[in-house]
Amino acid sequence: MTPLGSIAGAVLSATPWRLDRRLEVDTRRAALSRISGAVSAMVVVGILLLLTGRNAFWILWQALDSILGSQRGIEGVALRAIPILMTALGVALSLRMKVWNIGSDGQFLMGGLAAVGVGIHMNGPGWLVLIVMAVAGTLAGAAWILVPALARAYLDVNEIITTLLLNFVAFQLVVWASLGFWRDRESAVIRSTERVPVILEKIPGAESVTIALFVPVIIAAALWWVFRSTTIGYEVDTIGGNPRAAGFAGIAVRRRIMVVMLFTGAIAGLGGMLQLSAPGAQAMNAGFSAQFGLSGFIVAALAGASFWGVMGGGVCIAAMFYAGVLLQTKGLSVYIIFASYGVILTGIALGEIAARYRLARRDTEETGTGSDAVAADHASEGAGS
Amino acid sequence: MILAIIENAFLSLVGSAIPASTVVVLAATGAMLGERVGVLNLGQEGLIGIGAVYSVIAVLSWGVQSPWMAMLIGMIAAAVAGLVFAVCVVAFRASQVLVGLALALGGIGLSNQLGTNRNGTLIKTLFREVNPGGVLDNNDLMSAFLFHDPIVYIAYVGLPLVLWFVLFRTRHGMNMKAVGENPAAADAVGVSVTGWRIFYSVLGASLTGAAGSYMVLAFTPSWSPDIARGRGWVALAVVIFAGWRPGWAVAGALLYGSMISLDTTAQARGWGLPFMGASDLSFFLSMLPYVVTLVAILIPAGAVKLGRRVRSTAAPAALAIPYAREER
Repeated sequence: MTPLGSIAGAVLSATPWRLDRRLEVDTRRAALSRISGAVSAMVVVGILLLLTGRNAFWILWQALDSILGSQRGIEGVALRAIPILMTALGVALSLRMKVWNIGSDGQFLMGGLAAVGVGIHMNGPGWLVLIVMAVAGTLAGAAWILVPALARAYLDVNEIITTLLLNFVAFQLVVWASLGFWRDRESAVIRSTERVPVILEKIPGAESVTIALFVPVIIAAALWWVFRSTTIGYEVDTIGGNPRAAGFAGIAVRRRIMVVMLFTGAIAGLGGMLQLSAPGAQAMNAGFSAQFGLSGFIVAALAGASFWGVMGGGVCIAAMFYAGVLLQTKGLSVYIIFASYGVILTGIALGEIAARYRLARRDTEETGTGSDAVAADHASEGAGS
Repeated sequence: MILAIIENAFLSLVGSAIPASTVVVLAATGAMLGERVGVLNLGQEGLIGIGAVYSVIAVLSWGVQSPWMAMLIGMIAAAVAGLVFAVCVVAFRASQVLVGLALALGGIGLSNQLGTNRNGTLIKTLFREVNPGGVLDNNDLMSAFLFHDPIVYIAYVGLPLVLWFVLFRTRHGMNMKAVGENPAAADAVGVSVTGWRIFYSVLGASLTGAAGSYMVLAFTPSWSPDIARGRGWVALAVVIFAGWRPGWAVAGALLYGSMISLDTTAQARGWGLPFMGASDLSFFLSMLPYVVTLVAILIPAGAVKLGRRVRSTAAPAALAIPYAREER
């Protein structure tokens, strides 16, 4: 009936290979194959660039060499790691529940915007202003995901599109703030909001990195503990495994979804505040979030919702990100970097499959696949869509 | 006098809303095609970019003279990207969400890179308005509603009718829906789930590519970075709003398009409100299309929640769930 469709079907069934589900997938194998997926994707990108006459391997090597060789370079990585880690931790938390928060860029922006609002209007001792800014940023991030969370929990509306649409709204709001209602009317910079006079304390010995660096570490440790030792963590993991089973077990699924989603927004929002109160930032403009949410999402996907994995992956991506800034001066545009993000994410997704399946020849014996487990797994993947 | 102003404003609203929505209608129809057979492609934003940039390249670098040919080239490019996506998620069963986001990112990056040297160059190979006889002038009521380029008619009337007929009046459409709702049953009666899924998600990708081509061949008409500006995501939202029904996708897209044209019209005419200056109002209006789209998704779900009977607005049951015969 569909000639092309049946041709495609015939080609696929003619191959002597098929995918066999592994009976057990241990987390180490899963992580390894995700990472190797990402690395081989990077190699593919590098070869493609080589074919178009750009030696990406050499450039990347040079960039990494100059980063890791100096304090300035290491601090540059740390500065970018903070926002990326915050958004990544938020996404990783939602992934524990198989909820996709694609809106962390928006929550990050709103956190920064709320912090600016407090910072330019509040008078008081610096430490108090900073605390109020942090609270405002956290609440704003949570508020920004409130509607998608309510819709997901109580109306069963998929959160992917709703969280993403709000990114555009947040971006326009930041543009409005920096060109309109909070515009800086005094300095020559007319495309940003007024500057917040206070900044966070610097780490002793550092030129630009503030104590904000400790915040993602503390949050990662707290989340790790919650998921290791508390009932709530266990319940969230259960919902992530199979929401219907969790409901039958008496877990308040809807309420847990609400709480987790609000927390993911709050973490991203706090990330926005931290970014704002770094020395030199201190004001909002249209470029405030240099796709930190996106990078955070990739980190979370790579780490597979393991919080310590997020820390490691986040630092790596931050180094790449900072290298990207240097690469731009050597003929690689930011667009190529985003295009390669796409390839890397595909590599991660394929790596995930490689961990769960193995290639087997069609004529080999059937391995017993637990069809119930498979069905349950798929049911949970499709939940909410 | 006042009436004339209102009429004038209304006409320019409608006149710009229809082309502004066309992109979303095409992309939403493309996304819907894939989703009807169970493949959720979140990469619409990237596909729009790829379709647009290849049409631009065809016109500016390959010397293509006909807009139809340029659109076809854009569609083929998007179909190739869609094929890579489909093979990853259908044949290899990779996560549709992850690979879809990868396609969105990669498509935006790739198209921006390819378009770098062509920023802002005006495209002259355009779709022309259909104006039989050229009787009516530009400011007429008829002109706002009726005289558009041929793609508008295809997107608003042709495609939805064809898709509605195929989906709801033919055996082929029954099979499509079966692949999206219950692939195991479809497989049991001899429908190749893998084949159908790949075919229709590639076809859908090429339609989304056509949406991008339309942007540069009629709407903007030039290349600029990040050309989709969220229209791909809006298209995905429109599919949800429409409850996977072709006719309703047109309505959803028009809702978005009218918000966009409200913004552009207000900016062009310097509208203001008593409590809000013209520039503040335009900032506010530029957020509105996304807010309205978000609310629009919540309406059908809310109606179901309140116990209203809404016909067939649920997503295809097997949407975003990979199918493997061995695990049936």
